[in-house]
Amino acid sequence: MANNHNNANKPPLNIAAIIIGWILPGLGHVSLGQQRRGFLVMGGVLFLVVCGVLIGGIDAVDHKNDGLWFIAQVWCGPIVVGVDVLNQALIAPLPVAEKVTRVGLSHANEIGTLFIAMAGLMNFVVLLDLIQAVNSEDLVRRRTTRDRRAP
Amino acid sequence: MLGWTPFLEPMNAMQSWWYLLLIPLVFGIAVIYRALREEDYARYWQSVILMTVQIVLGIVGIAIALGVFVQWVIPLLNQP
Repeated sequence: MANNHNNANKPPLNIAAIIIGWILPGLGHVSLGQQRRGFLVMGGVLFLVVCGVLIGGIDAVDHKNDGLWFIAQVWCGPIVVGVDVLNQALIAPLPVAEKVTRVGLSHANEIGTLFIAMAGLMNFVVLLDLIQAVNSEDLVRRRTTRDRRAP
Repeated sequence: MLGWTPFLEPMNAMQSWWYLLLIPLVFGIAVIYRALREEDYARYWQSVILMTVQIVLGIVGIAIALGVFVQWVIPLLNQP
């Protein structure tokens, strides 16, 4: 009886929100009504991905040569899959002499790959947060003492 | 640098100052993490900056400790 009562209080699993949150980071929270939290997450993940591709070029995502890194990166969703498709289509088939200018070497490749992998792992944390997120828990601006004094 | 095509080609100009990229990396992570943990938006950006500074200082501290260990402690241990 007590067990049934506990189950009734448990928030439902937000499977649809998790899928939406993988398709576009942050959109899962937006779909649950947590707009501010969702757009901040979206901004953070996209900032890391854009910085990663800017630093390492599109070669920063490469499922063939950097398979383990790709497992972390793919949690960013179809954006990263799209970058990998572009990499395989535009850079992988190039002859070595031409490929050298397009492929990140040393720190450029390492840091670019790391930025996108961190974005993916952070979005994985966001997806875990979505599992039992409640609609009414958005980031709100609380009234400070100064606000309360104002007319 | 002038022949660089952003996004298609890597930013090879950053090879000499790559360690400064720790700051935007940590800032991005802090933006996401504090968005999940913070409940009051009035304190949000303050906590993002605080977390960024804490992590950067922590990593700088670890780097200094490792540098001292490699440059000073290990040579001392190797002395006959």
